Amino acid sequence: MAKSGSPMLLQGTLDLLILHALQRGTLHGYSIAETIHLLSDQALKVEEGSLYPALYRLELDGAIAAHWGLSENNRKAKYYEITRRGKKLLASEQENWSRLSLGVQRVLARQP
Amino acid sequence: MHKFFLKLFRRRSMERDVEAELAFHREMAAAHGNPIPMGNTAFVQEQARDLWRFTRIENFWRDILYGARSLRRSPALVVTAVLSLGLGIGINTGIFSLAAEFLFSQPSVADPGSVVSVRVGGNSHADKEVVDFVRASGLFQEVAGENAETFINWDDGAQTRQVFTVQLTKNYFTALGVPIAYGRGILPQDPAEVVVLSNGFWSSHLRADPAIVGRTLRLDGRPYTVVGILPADYRSLIGFGFSPDVYVPRFLDDTRLAMYARLKPGTTLGQARAGLLTVARRLDQLMPGPFPYAQECQVAAIAGMDRFQTERDLQTVGLFFAMLLVVVGLVLLIACVNVASLLLARGSARAQELAIRLSLGAGRGRLFQQLLVEAAWLALLGTAFGLVLRQAMASAIEHYQIPLPLPIHLHLTLDWRVTLYAILLATFATLACGMLPAWRSIRRSIAPDLRRERRMRLQRGLVVAQLAISLMVLTAGSLFLRNLWRSNAISPGFDIRNTLRAQVNLPPAAYHDVRRKRAFVDQSLRALAALPGIQAAAAARTIPFTDNTRFGSDLKLIDTGRHVHVDFSWNAVSPDYFRAMAIPMIRGRTFLAGSQEPAARPVIVNRAFAAQYLADRQPLGRGFLWGTGGTPATVVGIVEGTKTLSIGEEERPQLYEDLSRIDNDRSRLQFVLRSATPPGTQVQAVRAALRGVEPNAGLEVATLYSSIGLAFLPSQVGAVLLGGMGVLGLMLAAIGLYGVMVYSVSRRTREIGLRLALGAGRRDIAWMVLASAAKLIAAGSAAGLLCAFFLVKPLAMFLVPGLRPADPVSFVAVAALLAITGFAAAWGPARRAAATDAMTSLRYE
Repeated sequence: MAKSGSPMLLQGTLDLLILHALQRGTLHGYSIAETIHLLSDQALKVEEGSLYPALYRLELDGAIAAHWGLSENNRKAKYYEITRRGKKLLASEQENWSRLSLGVQRVLARQP
Repeated sequence: MHKFFLKLFRRRSMERDVEAELAFHREMAAAHGNPIPMGNTAFVQEQARDLWRFTRIENFWRDILYGARSLRRSPALVVTAVLSLGLGIGINTGIFSLAAEFLFSQPSVADPGSVVSVRVGGNSHADKEVVDFVRASGLFQEVAGENAETFINWDDGAQTRQVFTVQLTKNYFTALGVPIAYGRGILPQDPAEVVVLSNGFWSSHLRADPAIVGRTLRLDGRPYTVVGILPADYRSLIGFGFSPDVYVPRFLDDTRLAMYARLKPGTTLGQARAGLLTVARRLDQLMPGPFPYAQECQVAAIAGMDRFQTERDLQTVGLFFAMLLVVVGLVLLIACVNVASLLLARGSARAQELAIRLSLGAGRGRLFQQLLVEAAWLALLGTAFGLVLRQAMASAIEHYQIPLPLPIHLHLTLDWRVTLYAILLATFATLACGMLPAWRSIRRSIAPDLRRERRMRLQRGLVVAQLAISLMVLTAGSLFLRNLWRSNAISPGFDIRNTLRAQVNLPPAAYHDVRRKRAFVDQSLRALAALPGIQAAAAARTIPFTDNTRFGSDLKLIDTGRHVHVDFSWNAVSPDYFRAMAIPMIRGRTFLAGSQEPAARPVIVNRAFAAQYLADRQPLGRGFLWGTGGTPATVVGIVEGTKTLSIGEEERPQLYEDLSRIDNDRSRLQFVLRSATPPGTQVQAVRAALRGVEPNAGLEVATLYSSIGLAFLPSQVGAVLLGGMGVLGLMLAAIGLYGVMVYSVSRRTREIGLRLALGAGRRDIAWMVLASAAKLIAAGSAAGLLCAFFLVKPLAMFLVPGLRPADPVSFVAVAALLAITGFAAAWGPARRAAATDAMTSLRYE
């Protein structure tokens, strides 16, 4: 659901990246996008049109919790943190992803 | 779950936050030198909103509103559907209310679950000593007794009337916790002359004036103080809507009482029964008698399923109601099929609209839900209308006086049971009306099949089903009509056209001595026989169809020494009874007066008695020992039998004794008079004559014909109800047939135009339509007759004997009625088809 210029991210994969980013601590929306961008060596760029719906969905599912706070430059920002449920979801999504990527790798490594 | 509450409470704040959050994001992006994303706010907000909505509930709400709006555009459909469903549901809930009230109503006492009826020795009523003994035994928390078969004479200043009275123990009101509307109940410390009035009596005879509490009424010649008035919705312990007029403390020493008791907390029925058996055994030791008290002890609940299971009579009435509910259920089914047909037609008209919506991405489930909601709207409106009808029915029944010799007032309230049943019916109606059309419409919109549309197989199948069901209901109705006809033709065994009946209630205190009663009877008979136009006058203890005394005991025949167990109806009459009632004497003679009678204890039996018990020898002159008395009874005459309680009963053995020779303990007497002139003209003279003998006696004088309404009531009720249902079902099926015919004609307009253009005559067109209607009627009749043949057999238990349920003549008649009605319904569409204009129909796209 990302715009042109970055590879297409599946919904589940975006959730995985967000949860992984929040492992380190509490971040607001922009920081999460920044983190993913940096950690991927600028390969992945998450637009707000995909990021925030994903965040809201995760919040409804109870994987992350949100609260309003003050940012570095004293602006009101919404901070997110991972919950216990989110940690479990992260583990299962990691497993799904490794299985998927392994499978794709294997297919591409062999001749049809 | 967590999600649900989040959505519920945080939704508003969420929507506000989205904008703020996006604004912050853009600021940060700008601050870090990243390109500012362009105008995605609305998109994100929409996405967020989608997540946060209660999608399913909002969709449902929208379906409800949309359904209402689209129904508003078809007022004809709505009116027809609401009327049909309303009638069906109204009648169903009405009959259900009646059944629930009649069979399962709760008496108006405190905590009915702990109140029980107590019987010992197999007797419904017990002597005072027995009641006191049971109370003293401590087995129950409270013991009270009542006798609801008493009469008291009320002198209101203008005339003396008999009123239905209940004699009670003084602790009745306090022990059972009976509610009171005005004043108070009877207390144990009250004097003997206090009275509590029923609400019906107070409204109809005392102008519903609350100031009557504290004043006195003249009952049996003595002033009784009114202490309280019962509420309007009071239900007696006996049930069935039985509501006597006044309640007084027991005033006759030998009145036997029906016992009611309150269980001690924590006692079960089984424990109480076992305890009662012990008490009864002790009673037998103290007061031994011919019939041991311990032989048949019973502790039974006074309401609900427990009572239903223990009383046989209730179960027969219950079966009748069950049958009735099935029949009205079938009528409702016909109505539902009508509405389904209408919705089917509507569905095919909207096929294009639905196809477009489907192609635009609407889910099939959503569309299905939407169509079902429309059906639910119709069912809901129909149920509301039906409940209004039920209310009207209930008020009508409350005010209608059933021609019974007992005071019966039924209160049909809209309680939780009826409401639940109405909701069930509404659900059933929704599914029955909506499922098929909804499913059909969706399927057709996905893959329209024009060929199938022209044949309309489904709608025709539905009409055939309607006709079949209607035929079944009609058959049941015609059966009950025949039953009524037949029961009117059955002779009751005595003359009801030229006979008068006078019921006399003697003041018990003055007439306690049986010799005074006999003297009264002699004097009255002389006075009555002297009246001009009276051919015969007689006295009796009971009159057929109003009351009956049954005996089951052992006889010992003197001549053969044989013992035989007999079961018969017993009556005590004066010698002229058979002449007054025109009951033919087959052999022998009637009783002779006084010393002229040679037999010490003469009895007269009917033909059935002689055939069943005395057939081995010549019955006349035979003697037998019966009961405890040492005097042998001698048969002096044999008469034809009469009916005793209902016109449809089988012949039963009867035995008559001489009224002047028995120890008559009842203070109520019946007189029958044979009149040469129309009996209605003699009423005043008879009343005057009897008043001349005893002015303080309560009198009711009427023609015998008007007094025996009970005899024909069951067959009348059955005929009215089922005949009415049959007619209703037929009308609904006719409407269904008409609808299908109209629709079929409208679909075939082009075909008709073509035929006309190719040379067909108008009559041929009409004939074509009628022929297709005839096919439907034939199919419906065949199916209906087949089912009716089997279903009618079990109805035989409600009919008079000798009536064959599966009578071919009535089947033919009913089928003919259906055919005539069907053709009448198809006539209109046939004419309209014949009047089609060929030019416009061929131009019609």
